Amino acid sequence: MAQTLYPRGTLKKIVKAHANRPLSKNVDILIYLNYVLFMQELMKETSIKAKQSGERGISAKSIRRVREGCLRRCKG
Amino acid sequence: MLESARKKQRLSPEVAATPNATDRTEPTTPFRRAISAGPTPESRKTPTFRTPGTVARTPRGGPATRPISARRAVPTTPHAIRALRERANAARTPGNSRRRSGRVQRETPRDLLRNLSRALAQDSRPVEPEPQTLPRRSRHSALDLPDVADSPDVAAPRLSMPLEDMYDDDSFHERPPRQSLLPELPDDVDGGTVQSLEFGRRALSEDPRYVRRASERFADFSELGAVDEEFEIDGTFINRRRTGAFDPLLDQTIVEEDEDTVEALTGRRDGPSSDADLGVFGQGDDDTEEPTFRFHIPEQIRAPIEEGAEEQVELGDTITLPDVAGEEEEDLEVDEETPPLDEPEETGALDVNEPTEAFGMTGWESDPGGDDDLELAAYREEESALDRSLQVPEAPALVQKRMATRRIELKLSRVGLDYPSFPAAPVKKLALSFMKSQGSKAQLNKDALAALVQTTDDFFEQIGIDLAAYAQHAGRRTIEESDVLALMRRYVTFPYLLTRKTSSNTTSFSLAQKMLPRELLQQLRMEPQPKLKGQKRKRLATVQEEDDE
Repeated sequence: MAQTLYPRGTLKKIVKAHANRPLSKNVDILIYLNYVLFMQELMKETSIKAKQSGERGISAKSIRRVREGCLRRCKG
Repeated sequence: MLESARKKQRLSPEVAATPNATDRTEPTTPFRRAISAGPTPESRKTPTFRTPGTVARTPRGGPATRPISARRAVPTTPHAIRALRERANAARTPGNSRRRSGRVQRETPRDLLRNLSRALAQDSRPVEPEPQTLPRRSRHSALDLPDVADSPDVAAPRLSMPLEDMYDDDSFHERPPRQSLLPELPDDVDGGTVQSLEFGRRALSEDPRYVRRASERFADFSELGAVDEEFEIDGTFINRRRTGAFDPLLDQTIVEEDEDTVEALTGRRDGPSSDADLGVFGQGDDDTEEPTFRFHIPEQIRAPIEEGAEEQVELGDTITLPDVAGEEEEDLEVDEETPPLDEPEETGALDVNEPTEAFGMTGWESDPGGDDDLELAAYREEESALDRSLQVPEAPALVQKRMATRRIELKLSRVGLDYPSFPAAPVKKLALSFMKSQGSKAQLNKDALAALVQTTDDFFEQIGIDLAAYAQHAGRRTIEESDVLALMRRYVTFPYLLTRKTSSNTTSFSLAQKMLPRELLQQLRMEPQPKLKGQKRKRLATVQEEDDE
């Protein structure tokens, strides 16, 4: 079987460390789904921002600019 | 020059009418021909004066060197060409009649341009610069961390060229050239004499002999080393720490600058210039000097710092970085296990994570170098400000390096558990796939990837905290799928989700179907199915029905 899309164990560890709670068995998939959505959002905003400021690719600067807004939008 | 040109223009038709005295050719020769345009018609025509016999007798290189027919007798040898051209030029130089008014001088492209400009001058008007709206800053501009760089941008009027962003965030309009290491203060803040004072780096130069401008001081390394050695601080301590592979000069500037200054300051804190500096620190109460120092460290200094610091890292965990060691003296919240270099990264995470602070969690174990510390330091004493200012420039580079070299380093979460950073490869893959789906072929550079990874970590941190809260609210200990679903329902605006989500027509399950590969979906389906049945099945669209079974 091909490797999974993301390291499941790592993700679980990360979230568990932050939440200080155990996770049920397959939550991490949903969490990852959330993350994918978030990344999609982030990349979209970033590319918009990058285009606005006339960059060619995507720069770290534009990522940093949009990420606060994106994170805030993903706040529960 | 201008006058003569004007005259020339006025008189040119007349001149054109009069046959040129020095011209040997026909008066019909077009005299408006730029010299830069190559051989003039005169030069081409001069051979016509020659008798055919002369032409025949002139030594030639042979038929091969003569692409043009002999009858035209275009000069082929460089000598001849130059001679002819000079002759033609001489024909056009005024000679005796140089001072005669209205004489057409040799025409240059510049003259052509000038004529053009005159012709256009009637109906063109001077360009009025567009009124530049400076983005108003709510805060002290020197306080801006580069991370949060004014994200609620005022929508500037769109220019045809991205003039504003050609330079960095703050265009050159608002930032006149300053001393490289001085903090940038807005005009309304009365910086007093800051602009010309030594600022924040007094440590090295407490000695009045060395009070100088920053740029001067950074310029010469050798003197810097000399300064350090004149400081009576324990050179042995530094020597012990040295790895030996260092270039001694650079080493001094790195290591000693950090720790010596601290100790030097603790000794005599109230130096002569401390009053002026204190005022400034009080004003820009926070991290006034951070952005400035982060960005304006000259290259030649920064590179050695990176090297040196990395070697320091490899020395082992027992030896903490000198600057951090200095910091640990004053803030006791530094964890021993924390790799010292995490702090700057965490501060970067911190400003984004304001929501989590609003959530009620205030104690961050993992960021002793964070905001609290900054404030404290600003109030307490300059030494920490100083060594932070020395520490910060190396921080981003270090974080990057570490990300490249040792990816699996453990960080400390809020609750004190350590966790690995999310690996960069999946992040990159994901980001690239999204970029591709948006149609851009650009690559992610390293900085951008680092930013993405950091954002990822922040995201997981946030989502972890949120989920914990949700689970607690539900009276559970474990975090379950329903928590995540509840969280997803709470998401305010994913623009593309907006219509569908708020109408709650779509489940997160269909989203999962869209975004996730099959095997993950399968595992997902096994468990939350009963829950989904209860909540969602009624609302499911028809498309979704058979998939759920």
